Amino acid sequence: MLFGGVHVRDNKSLACDKPTEVLPEPSELHISTKQASGKPAVPCVEVGQRVKEGQLIAKADGVISSNVFAGMAGVVKEIVDLPAASGAEETFIVISSDGSKEKEWLTPLSDPTAESILARIGEAGIVGMGGAGFPAAVKDAPKCKVDTLILNGAECEPYLTCDHRLMIEHTDDIVRGARYIAKALGGVQIVIGIELNKPDCIAAFEPYDDVKVVALAKRYPMGSEKHLIYSTTGRKVRLGKLPADAGVIVHNVGTAYAVCQAVELGKPLYERELTVSGKAVKEPKNLWVKVGASVADIIAYCGGEESAPVKAVIGGPMTGTAVASYDEYVGKTTGGILLMTAEEADTKAPTPCLNCGKCADVCPMHLMPMQTAFYSNAGDFETAAKLGGTMSCIECGACEYVCPARRPLIQAIRKTKAAMRAKKN
Amino acid sequence: MDNNIVISTPPHVKSPRTTKGIMLDVLIALAPAAIAGMVFFGWQALVVIITAMISAVAAEFVYYFIYNGGFKAKCANAGAVCKKWLAQFDFTSAVTGLILALILPSTAEWYEVAIGAVFAIVIVKMLFGGTGKNLVNPAAAGRVMMFLSFAITTYVAANFEPISLDSQLFTGATALSGSILGGNPDAHMEWIDLFFGTGLAGCIGETCKLALIIGYIYLVVRGVIKWWQPLLYIVLSAFLSVCLAATAEGATFDISLMMDYALSGGLMFGAIFMATDYVTSPKGVYGQIVYYVILAVLTSLLRFYTKIEVVSFVIMLVNLIVPLIDRYVVRRPFGYAKQVKAKEGK
Repeated sequence: MLFGGVHVRDNKSLACDKPTEVLPEPSELHISTKQASGKPAVPCVEVGQRVKEGQLIAKADGVISSNVFAGMAGVVKEIVDLPAASGAEETFIVISSDGSKEKEWLTPLSDPTAESILARIGEAGIVGMGGAGFPAAVKDAPKCKVDTLILNGAECEPYLTCDHRLMIEHTDDIVRGARYIAKALGGVQIVIGIELNKPDCIAAFEPYDDVKVVALAKRYPMGSEKHLIYSTTGRKVRLGKLPADAGVIVHNVGTAYAVCQAVELGKPLYERELTVSGKAVKEPKNLWVKVGASVADIIAYCGGEESAPVKAVIGGPMTGTAVASYDEYVGKTTGGILLMTAEEADTKAPTPCLNCGKCADVCPMHLMPMQTAFYSNAGDFETAAKLGGTMSCIECGACEYVCPARRPLIQAIRKTKAAMRAKKN
Repeated sequence: MDNNIVISTPPHVKSPRTTKGIMLDVLIALAPAAIAGMVFFGWQALVVIITAMISAVAAEFVYYFIYNGGFKAKCANAGAVCKKWLAQFDFTSAVTGLILALILPSTAEWYEVAIGAVFAIVIVKMLFGGTGKNLVNPAAAGRVMMFLSFAITTYVAANFEPISLDSQLFTGATALSGSILGGNPDAHMEWIDLFFGTGLAGCIGETCKLALIIGYIYLVVRGVIKWWQPLLYIVLSAFLSVCLAATAEGATFDISLMMDYALSGGLMFGAIFMATDYVTSPKGVYGQIVYYVILAVLTSLLRFYTKIEVVSFVIMLVNLIVPLIDRYVVRRPFGYAKQVKAKEGK
C-alpha cells in the first residue's frame, strides 16, 4: 500500500449479519432543510398545511443545495431553528403524522435519456450518501471528459454495515442505478471497489458483465474518494482538483440505489439505510429510516441502552460527530448511530507528544499532523498550515487513531483550517 | 442517557498503543542487554544499573514535586501531587536511566552514576519541558558529561564468570581503540568474541551483540522502531569506516573489516536504542533517512580521526540539527503537482 492508512478493529460483526428492518413510522419527523453541503433549502410549505409522503417541502437554493421531501403524510406542525448535531443552528420542518399514508411521488421515467436522468437526480434531491452530501446532479454534470464511474462499496468506517447490507440485499438495484448514472455521464465504464472483508458483496457483483469488481485491501481510509480512485484505477487526483479532472466520478453504492429508485419508481430521497451499533446498544441493527426521525426513537426501537454509553456518535466512529443527547435527527447523509462503551471509545487524557512520527507514517495524504498540532497550539497557524500541509487534509482521523499520546490532532487541524480560511476572506 | 457522556472531535476509537506501553516495550527490549551485562560484569554492573534507574526516576519525581508546588503551604497538597505524578508517569525516566547505565563501564562509581543520571533528567530533559521536549538524548548527554567530568575511559573485560573482588580485573582499551583503530594486531578479537562479548572490554550493555539483536528484533516486531533505521546507520557507518581505513598508508581495502567496525564499541547499542529515540529524531521518513546518513558519516569520520568511541557524542551533535532537518526536509502531499509559477512581468 503506497499511501499509508491504518488497520482499525472494525467491529462490523455486531451488525453485518442483521437483515435490514424498517423503522416503524414515528409520530413526528424533524426534517432539517440543510441536507447537502452548500446552502440550506428554502421551505415551501406553511405551518398547518397537509403534506403527503414524498411531497416537496423545501426547494433547493442555488446549485449546491438539494430538495427536501416529507417522509410521511401528515401536517406541518412548525418550522423552527434548532441546534443540529454539529452545534450550528439549522431550520427544521416538523411534520406530525396523521396516519393516512398518502403518497405523492414523481412520475417514473419510462424511457430514460441522459438529460432526463440528470434532471431526475437533481429533482429527487439525491446527494452523496457516503457522508459528504454533495449534490449528485452537480457531480454528474462534470466540466471535463469522464471515462469511468466508480461505485464506492469500500465502507472502510468501522462499525457501519449499512452499505454492506444494501449491496447484498439490493445488488441489482445498485447495478441498474449505476447504469443510469453511467448513461447520464455519456456511457462510461462502471467499476466497483469493495474491501476484502466483504467477500459476499464481491461475489454478489461478480455475475454482472458490465461491472468491474475491484477487491480492495482492508485498510482505513480506503473509501476516501482520492484513495479509492488510486486503488481502483491507479490515477492520482491532483491537489485542489476534482476527481473529474482525472476522468473519474465516484458515487457511494447508496447513491446508486437512490438513483435507481428515483428513475424507476419516481421515489424522491427521503429515506436511507443506517446502522445502529456499538456495545452499549441492546440490539445492533441495520434500519431503513425516514429522514427526520429522532435518534431517541431509533434507539428505543433497538431495545434501548444495554449499558450507559460513554459516547453517542452520529456517523462512523472515525469521522462522526459525538452528541450530548438523543434529541438529534437523521439526515440524508447519516450512515450510523453508535452508542459506545468505555471499553470501545477511548477517552484517555492526552499526554505530551513524543514526535514519534506515527501520525505522518499513516497519513494517507502524506502530511505532517504533528507539525500542525505543535504550531497551531502556539497560535502560529500559518506555519502550522505550511509545515503540516493542513489545507490538503481530508480529516480521516487515521493520525489521531494511531497517536500513542492521544493528541487531539483533528481538533488542531480543524482549528488551523478555520483560522486560515478566516484569514483568506 | 446520563451526564457522563463525552463530547470530542473524531475519531472516537483509538489504537490500544500508549506512550507508557511503548516505553515498557523499550524497557523489555533493553532487558537482554542488561542481563548479559550482569552476567559478564557481575554485581558491579547491577549496582550501576540500579543506581542509574533509581536516580533518574527519583530526580524526575523531585523535580515534578517541586514544580507542581508539593512543598507549598506546608506540604498541604503533597499527596495530591504524588498522585498526579503517578498518573502521568510513563517510564521515560526509567528508560533514560537504564540506557545511561548500559553505556557506562562497570567500574563507574555509584555516586558518579547518580550524578550523571540526575544531570540527564533534570538539566537535559526536565528543564527543557520534560517528556517530548528535550533537544538532545538525555542518556547520551549524561554519558558525555560523565566522560568529560570523571574521565571514565577504563573498561573492564567481560567474562563468563562473575568477577569477584579479589580476582585481577583486566582493564584496558576496548577492542575498538585497541585493535581496529589503534593498529595493535595483538588485541585483535575474533568475530565470535565480538558478537557474544566474551572477553571483550567495554560498557555494560554494549558488549553482547546477541542481546542487542534480540532487543532490536523485539522493537521491530512491536512496531516501536522501523527495521531499516539502525541497519542504515550501522551498515553505512561500517562501510565508510572501511573506506576511510583504506586511505591510511600501507592499508588495503578490506571489506571483511566491516564486521569488526559494526560489532565494535557502542555503535550497535547507539543505533538501536539511542539514535532511534522518538523525541530527538526527525518526524518524517525522508528526514529520518537524512538523519541516519549524517549520523553514519560523522561516526566513521570521528572514529577514524579521534581513535576513541564517539557514538554518544555524534548522537548528541546530530540531535541538535534535527529541528533544521524537520523544517527543510518535507514530504509532498498525495497528489502533489508542481505549481507552474506565472512568469514575472506578465
